[in-house]
Amino acid sequence: MNSESRIDPKIIEEMLKFTKNVMDAPKLVSAPDEISLEVTPHDIVHELDKTRLLHYRPLTEKQHKTPLLISYALINRYHILDIQPEKSWVRNLLLQGFDLYMLDWGSPTSMDKYLDFDDYVNGYLDSAVEHIKNESSNEKISIQGYCTGGTIATAYAALHPESVKNYIATAPVIDGWRDTTVISNLAKHMDVDKMVDIIGNMPPEFMYYCFSVLKPFEQGIEKYVKFFKNIDNKKYVDNFLRVEKWLGDTPPIPGELFKQWIKDIYQDNLLIQNKMYVGGERIDLKKIDMPTFTQIAVGDHLVSPVCSMPLHYAIGSEDKTLRMYPTGHVGMIASSLSQKKVLPELGKWLAERS
Amino acid sequence: MSSKPQALTSTGPMRAFATNSKKITTELIEINEDLMGFNEYLTEYYKQLASAWEVAQKKVNLKAPDVPQDVEQIETFKRIWIDIFDNDFTELFDSKKFGANYGKLVSKELELTKHWNNITNVILQSANLPSKEEMDEVYKEMHSLKKRVGKLELELKKKEMSKK
Repeated sequence: MNSESRIDPKIIEEMLKFTKNVMDAPKLVSAPDEISLEVTPHDIVHELDKTRLLHYRPLTEKQHKTPLLISYALINRYHILDIQPEKSWVRNLLLQGFDLYMLDWGSPTSMDKYLDFDDYVNGYLDSAVEHIKNESSNEKISIQGYCTGGTIATAYAALHPESVKNYIATAPVIDGWRDTTVISNLAKHMDVDKMVDIIGNMPPEFMYYCFSVLKPFEQGIEKYVKFFKNIDNKKYVDNFLRVEKWLGDTPPIPGELFKQWIKDIYQDNLLIQNKMYVGGERIDLKKIDMPTFTQIAVGDHLVSPVCSMPLHYAIGSEDKTLRMYPTGHVGMIASSLSQKKVLPELGKWLAERS
Repeated sequence: MSSKPQALTSTGPMRAFATNSKKITTELIEINEDLMGFNEYLTEYYKQLASAWEVAQKKVNLKAPDVPQDVEQIETFKRIWIDIFDNDFTELFDSKKFGANYGKLVSKELELTKHWNNITNVILQSANLPSKEEMDEVYKEMHSLKKRVGKLELELKKKEMSKK
């Protein structure tokens, strides 16, 4: 009896409220297909195979002369950079007067299992750059690469320095041996030849597994508890669902590209040693001689800061900047911190060189 | 001298049936062997998870020994529980022993998939449809052709530019 009387009635109240919120959720929450992740207006200006080049419509009267192309990661899709107006990387850059393009890698199918690094670097990315150069009448453009897209852009900047005016590397995967993340640990023990031989492309389910072991209790329990507690908060729910939809939309990675990725970056660590070959050409990071801005998130649990940082020291550029931010991998590109600190610093740096 | 059942399978459609049955049976036997290996690594996988859980729970009990009595205490307890469990499980997932076992587990799973693919190929070929390997060859050829066309287009473009 005594122990019963010690229970705070508020606990019961909270539990009942939580149960009610769970029951009400289906009525209050939109279905994923009702949520559109295409926020900022844009035009599709170029297509090659399944890739698309998006050109965002300007939000300022005057624009900087040099266009900026974003090479997004191969995991998940580019929508996180424009997930909602207040946290949009894209919108912020447009408001700072940049002429902005985004390369959407599309969703590869079984047919694309032989696409490799060469196709992505010297094919798709190069084709997008050439298109922008022609459309904007510029001989060089600025490129930003994020995460795995940063690795592709790094390879491109080293192989085609004549086309890159400024290079921005945002949490790029560079030094695989230094990476201390769970993903790197799994990658190092993976029989990638067997995987690609038997199943072709790297399936999204495997990526979902990798995500599920990153902060499993915070992400697997607490996140959803918070969601149900805030079910009446329309803005919170909308933001949550957008991010959830984005998280659930991971395209497969072409088998050959994935194989080279795991072997050359995580297992043999060839890129940072200037021993990696793409399309028969060796990637020499010293050839990255254009102004370069490297952005790193201190709390990144997908790409360790020590995995990205070596890029800054390995490149040949004399005009190079390294910035570290007290946030995580996604927080760096889609948070209030990115709006208040990361983007203004990037914009200032880029404007001076555009 | 062949016995009648053997003679029956040596010619005509029954021959193909017999060959296919043998291939499928072989695959099924191998699946059973690989399934044993898979179960071994799966058991180790869950053993590692259970052990990490046990250690983390003990840490939580030491840090928060009292049963929470109000909403605030529940929140504090939850925070402690999540932090300790996340730390301990991340440590496990980062460890070499987890990575090695997980790699072997996935490898065995792939072996099982390979057997399934082989069985499917037998069925596809018996229906006169292309197997996975044959389709892969087509994809490879298409990829190589696309690359060649791309290079030729680029060369052509360069020639046109130099003429101008």
